[in-house]
Amino acid sequence: MPASATGIEVGKAQDGGAFVSLTGALDVRTVGAARRDLVVKLAGVLTEPLSVDASGLDSADVSGMVVLWELANGLVVPGVRATISGLRPELEAILATYPSPDEVEAAISSPAESAGIHSLGRGALSIVADVRAMVEFVGALTSALVAGLRRPRAMRWPEVLRVVEKAGVDAFPLVSFVGLLVGLIIAFEAAQPLKQLGAEVFVADAIGIIVIRELGPLITAIVIAGRSGPALAAELGMMKVNEELSALETMGLDPLRFLVVQRVVAGTLLAPVLTLYSVALGVAGGCIVMGMLGYPFAVTWAHLQGAVHPADLLVGTTKGVVFGTLVAGLACLRGLQAGDGPAAVGEAATSAVVSGIVSVFTADALFAVLTYVLKI
Amino acid sequence: MIRVEDVTIGYGERIVMSGVSFEVRRGEVFVILGGSGCGKSSLLKNLIGLQKPMKGRILVGGRDVAAAEGDERQALLRSFGVMYQSGALFGSLTVHENVRLPLDEFTDLSLRQRDVLAHTRLKMVGLGHAGRRMPSELSGGMKKRAAIARALALDPPLVFLDEPSAGLDPVTSAGLDALILDLARNFGITFVVVTHELLSIFAIADRCVMLDASRKTLVAEGKPRTLADSSEDQAVLRFFRREAEGAQTDRSQPK
Repeated sequence: MPASATGIEVGKAQDGGAFVSLTGALDVRTVGAARRDLVVKLAGVLTEPLSVDASGLDSADVSGMVVLWELANGLVVPGVRATISGLRPELEAILATYPSPDEVEAAISSPAESAGIHSLGRGALSIVADVRAMVEFVGALTSALVAGLRRPRAMRWPEVLRVVEKAGVDAFPLVSFVGLLVGLIIAFEAAQPLKQLGAEVFVADAIGIIVIRELGPLITAIVIAGRSGPALAAELGMMKVNEELSALETMGLDPLRFLVVQRVVAGTLLAPVLTLYSVALGVAGGCIVMGMLGYPFAVTWAHLQGAVHPADLLVGTTKGVVFGTLVAGLACLRGLQAGDGPAAVGEAATSAVVSGIVSVFTADALFAVLTYVLKI
Repeated sequence: MIRVEDVTIGYGERIVMSGVSFEVRRGEVFVILGGSGCGKSSLLKNLIGLQKPMKGRILVGGRDVAAAEGDERQALLRSFGVMYQSGALFGSLTVHENVRLPLDEFTDLSLRQRDVLAHTRLKMVGLGHAGRRMPSELSGGMKKRAAIARALALDPPLVFLDEPSAGLDPVTSAGLDALILDLARNFGITFVVVTHELLSIFAIADRCVMLDASRKTLVAEGKPRTLADSSEDQAVLRFFRREAEGAQTDRSQPK
């Protein structure tokens, strides 16, 4: 249905000012064009005093009246306030509901930005509060874990298995893909400089040490933090938004013991398994490259056996345990900290990824220092 | 304004209601009522084009809602506003931005004009002070008021309200009823309201239809007071008298 246009006639009034006569429809469909037309027609006409005759309007709605509001408030011809006449009572009532320009300005303007020092202070306080929340969470979680381990029968093992399946088994394809590619990439990157030194065969040694001690656990933890961490945070966040956590508390059940312990135990059990699997695939990727470089598998295997010690496997597996616990624990914390509304769930998931990755790299750095000092 | 012609609604094999016909006249407040699970919200989804009826047709402003496609469907959708039960305000936008959104997307008005219109709408629903707040900072009643303001943003002649009083205290609910009546009387807007709140029905409805879950069809049509006083249908009488079958539920009555 085509919109009827607004008729606009502009002319000189007897008092030396200008008059505007409006006819037809002035509604949400026509008001934009009417406003533009009005500005063009008023240009070049002496416009003070300006009077508007709206008696010829057949129909109008709230949106259409905005142009009359602008005319009346001197916003079409800057500074010239028009006198509106001829409005039907119902349209006058609509115009009366309009706010004053100052009121609109006050209602939509943002509060003044705080000075930088205030933002800095708020940021610092937020970090302190976050660290405090983490410490409290670690304490409460440890207590709940100990209680759970003392009474393993009370642990909700089906829930642990569900989380292991959801967060772990489903992650196998991604871990396989990433693990194999890491082995291939490291082998190819190491092959070139070692070939120049005539030590190409030591690619196997490099793969063994780098993948087993460092990249295997690290890449696996990043995969878990990126894939499973946000899922855990979103699940708990959604439960909080839906007041399921409040329901647990009012039933006398501690959400930490009832929900978080199972997820952390699942993460702790799952991560080393995934790490070892990823390491195996990384080494396999390296062996493939060694084969492509012309070295028989027996030679590669012999070098791997020579370079890799049980301690390396122990370090890699321990990292897996620690990283898995950190990622799962922090994901649960972020889920429990979720605010209100669906947006909060998304924020909790994002926060879980960031916290997980930061904590994994921090822990890895501590491992590097510790193993150096202990000469492991 | 709306004509529902022998409509059957369902999901897959399951029929929710069938043989439903009624008309909504221009400028009236029309209520669709019925007990929980009778298909009120399903009917609403069909009226606003989110679902297609299995049989029959629904005409809004003379256009078949289910058959409209492309530009015709867009024009049809813009010809009415909808307030969803939860408000469905966008959580990442302020209340003011929520109300301004349809104006941003579908008009060529300047930013100042859109701001003025959005604020005017918020003032009309009594939320002129809350434009800068986020939806999460509003109470349930305020969310519904803001959602009504957004539904009115493009001056639609027809507005659908899904359970406007649900979950609200009686005072807030009465305020919302007054707002609906005010908008209907002063701006000539046709309202189709889905509700089962008796007080609201008597307060706002010019006419109503009642759906019945057990018979899976429309069982009554008319003015609410007339239906309450003189309907011969037992289900209708029970609904209006708030009677559970065979149960005395009014503890204020002397034994």
